[in-house]
Parts: sequence; C-alpha cells; structure tokens
Amino acid sequence: MAKVLEKFINLKTENVAVPNKIEAKSIYFDYDGLEILNNINLTVKEGEFVVFMGPSGSGKSTFLRLLTGLAQPKQGEILVNNQSVAKSLPDSSVVFQDYSLFPWLTAEENIILALKQKLKKSKTKKELEQLAQGYLELVQLGHAIKKYPGEMSGGMRQRAAIARALSLGSDLMFMDEPFGALDPVTRINLQDLILQVNREQQRTIVFVTHDAEEAIFLADRIVMFTPGPPGKIAEIIDVPFPKTRNRKQLFESLEFIKFRDYVLSVMNRGVFEKLEESYEVRVGGEGI
Amino acid sequence: MRKFFHLYIYSTLIAFAFLGLWVYITNFTELLDPVIFPSPEIVVIAFGKAILDLFKGFLSSMGLLVPAFALALVLGIGGGLYFGLHHRFRVILEPFFQTFSPLPPTLFIPYAIALFPTFKSASIFILFITTFWPIFLGTIQGVLLIDKPYWDNARTIGLKGKDLIFKVILPASSPLILSGIGTSLGFSFIVLMMAEMFGAESGMGHFIQYYTDFTQYDFVLAGIIFNSLIILAIMIIFEKIKKRLLFWTNLKSEAN
Repeated sequence: MAKVLEKFINLKTENVAVPNKIEAKSIYFDYDGLEILNNINLTVKEGEFVVFMGPSGSGKSTFLRLLTGLAQPKQGEILVNNQSVAKSLPDSSVVFQDYSLFPWLTAEENIILALKQKLKKSKTKKELEQLAQGYLELVQLGHAIKKYPGEMSGGMRQRAAIARALSLGSDLMFMDEPFGALDPVTRINLQDLILQVNREQQRTIVFVTHDAEEAIFLADRIVMFTPGPPGKIAEIIDVPFPKTRNRKQLFESLEFIKFRDYVLSVMNRGVFEKLEESYEVRVGGEGI
Repeated sequence: MRKFFHLYIYSTLIAFAFLGLWVYITNFTELLDPVIFPSPEIVVIAFGKAILDLFKGFLSSMGLLVPAFALALVLGIGGGLYFGLHHRFRVILEPFFQTFSPLPPTLFIPYAIALFPTFKSASIFILFITTFWPIFLGTIQGVLLIDKPYWDNARTIGLKGKDLIFKVILPASSPLILSGIGTSLGFSFIVLMMAEMFGAESGMGHFIQYYTDFTQYDFVLAGIIFNSLIILAIMIIFEKIKKRLLFWTNLKSEAN
C-alpha cells in the first residue's frame, strides 16, 4: 500500500517538475495598522498562467504589488527566480489597469524609453525604433506608432502597454486588472493576445481580475482571495479545461457553467461570511 | 480668421465703441482735462515720434528681465526638483520657504542698492527674487503631486538618472511648474515697472516716468499702450508655449 502511494507521489512530482518561478512564503502586509494580507503562501511554476480573483479589498492587487517588488511585505519572503525581491525588483514586466504608458510620450517613445533601460547602450536609436515598431505591429498597432496615449482608445492603450511589456523580454508578466475598463469585444481580443503570449513564448503570467469568466478562460490556476481585510487565500482552484480553449465551445459547455458556478460560490462564500460577521458585530454593538 | 470674428465680434465692437467714446469726449466735450487725457490722434502722433525710444526702452527692460528670469528658471526648477525629491531636506527648510516666499520683493530694495554696484545688477537681483519663488514652489508642488502610478511605472521599467528626470519627473510636474512660471511673469512686470520708474535711466517704465515729469501725457499714454502691447504679446507667447508643452493633457481619443 505504502509503495503504491509512494509511486503515486513520485508520479505526481514528476508531473510538476517544472521549476518554480515565484515562491511567496507566509506573507503578511498591513497599511497604517490595518491588516491587508495575512499568511499568504503561493508557488507559481514557470510558464503558468495564474489568476488572482476576489472581491475588492481582498488584497489581491496588493499581493501582486508585493510580487512585483514595488512594495515590500512586512513579514515573510518572496522569491522570484529563487532570488528575494527585497533587494532589487525582479526581472519582470508589469501592466497596470491604466497608467502603464506616459501620456507625454508616443507609443513608440514609451517603448523605446523602456527598451533603453533594458539594453543599456548596445543599440542605436534607429535599431531601438525598429524594435519598438516591431512590437507595436505584433499587437496590431502598426498604424498608431506615433500616437500619444491620449489619442488612443482604452483598448489601444492596453495593447501598447502589452507591447511594451513584451519588448522588455522578461519571461514573467504581472497584470493588474489590465482589461477592467475595456468593452467586451476589445477585452476578448486582448485575452486571446495574452494567452498567445503565454503559450507561444512560455511566459509566466500573474493576472488580477474580478471577472469569473475571464479568470476561467485565461487561468491554469485561480487563486481565490477572501474578502478582506485581511485577505487570505480561500482556495486555489485548478481549472480543469485543457488549453488551448475554444471560447465559444467552452462557454456553451455544461462543465464550464458548473465550474463557473463553483468558482463564484467559492467567492460568494467568503463574501457572505464577511457580511454575517459584520452583521453580528452590529447586533452585538447595539446590545451595549 | 472668420472663426476669430465669430468668437470675438462683441469684444471687437466694445473696443471700437470705447475708442469712439474717447474721440468724442476729448474732441467734442470739455469733460476731461486735455493735458491729462489727450485725444487719440495726438497719442498716435506721440507714438510715432517716440517709437524708437520705446523700442530702446523695451530692449533695456529686457536686459533686466531676461537674465533675472533665466536665473530664476534654472535655480527655481533645479532647486524645486531637488527639494521635491529629497523629503528630509525639504522638511528642514520648509519653514524658511514659507517665511521668505510671501515677502514683497521690494522689501529688499535697500539691501539690493547697498550691496550691488549698479542699478542694473540691483534690479536683476530684485527681479530674480520676484520670479524665483513661484517657480521654485511650483516645481516642488509639481514633483510632490506626481501620480503614484507614474513612479511605479518608472520603477518597473528601471528608469534612473537623466531619463527619469527628463522623461518622467519634469513632464509629470510640468503643469504646476508652468503655472508657477506664469505667476512669476505676472509679478515680474509689476516689479520691473516699479524699479524702472524710480531708479532707472532707461527702460519702458522710465519712459513713462520721464514724460510724466514734463506732464506730456500724450507720450505717457503712448508708453502705457506700448507696454500693454508688449506684456500682452509676452503673455500670449507664454500661453502658446505652455499649451504646446502640456499638449498631452488635452488630447482627444479615438472612440473605444
């Protein structure tokens, strides 16, 4: 019996012998004394597409920020490529919901500015321009190279932000609700684009959203946060649908609908518990 | 041009009505003292006679204003960047900024005269004090109010040094820097005229004071009109530059 189990475990470890990209160990974070995150443990494998989900205030964006190294946890340790992010920002690119581009620079200039830091002085201006144009064409923005962010639609801006992230060449991308402000069609296009990036270029992606369908369509694993504060990980859900996923077929399948209900129920469970908690407090308070 | 008329038709009419009233009152009534309020034709003649002197005065005034302003720009923006970015030093010196910045620059005239060898250098000093504070404080404000996401963004792409200052910090804080510069310009004309009317031997302010002493108000008025036109021109040019530098705050986006 033990042998069988051992064999099973071996098999399992063989399956996941992909190296770790990110390891977060017992992360704690507070802001002005308010607990935002408590005891978060998470490992992300190389090439994985991990989506953080949870209601507002669950600390999912804060946790992403800690992973990018822009803020430091109060307790615990974060390793990216087996190196602590406490000393220097990890090799990664970040796409924010907005603000990923500087509005006083054109799409091309934004990318060149980022490329310049990355490549130091090894490239001439002309080469940098060509590189930037190449990445913009890759996201179908060839026509908007000289456009300023203010002249672009929200979808174009996020495309340009993705082009910039890609140009940095890092195999790790953090995306904080990047499509949150976009219309459905643009959103679908960009989801496909980012899946393609994940698949074809083997880039690890950590993505924050509160949209269940988006999470399921994109993710290998969904990390569900409880409503904070403090946010905790309620559950880590493996998405059972093989990639590449066909959106139409997937969304129409019964399995998908069941799974989506399950994901939502995990999220709602947390929300209801939170509501009851605050209700009890109120009732208790009135008794005084 | 057509758009201009469409927009400003009433403004233009009011201007002509005012001119007409001026012609009427000075030529056909005795409501106003003709020495102090000469009729427009006489002012135009005076303007024509004095135009060369007026331009000389303009150049002389710019000889005071330009160096003072250039120095204020360099030290105001440079210093503002430094104190905007260095929290500790700013906190230490903040009380001094608050104490000195609201003082009328003319308070320092006795010391300017005592310490500087010439009228010109003393005036430049006073004009520098006038123009420095709004630019300096505007820059500090501008740096402090840079949206946090811009900082994050700059950090994630590893921006440092020159690129960070010229591609992110300066553009991001430019709205408040430019508004400081605008305030400075406005103050600088007031102080410039004061200085020239009371101490100078040339300049636009001196021209007016000189003819006041001879009660030649046709020349005085010509000087006032010339000054107004120059100041208007400078302000329009400044607004154009400002609009150009801040073009990114005012772009129209394509439909989503």
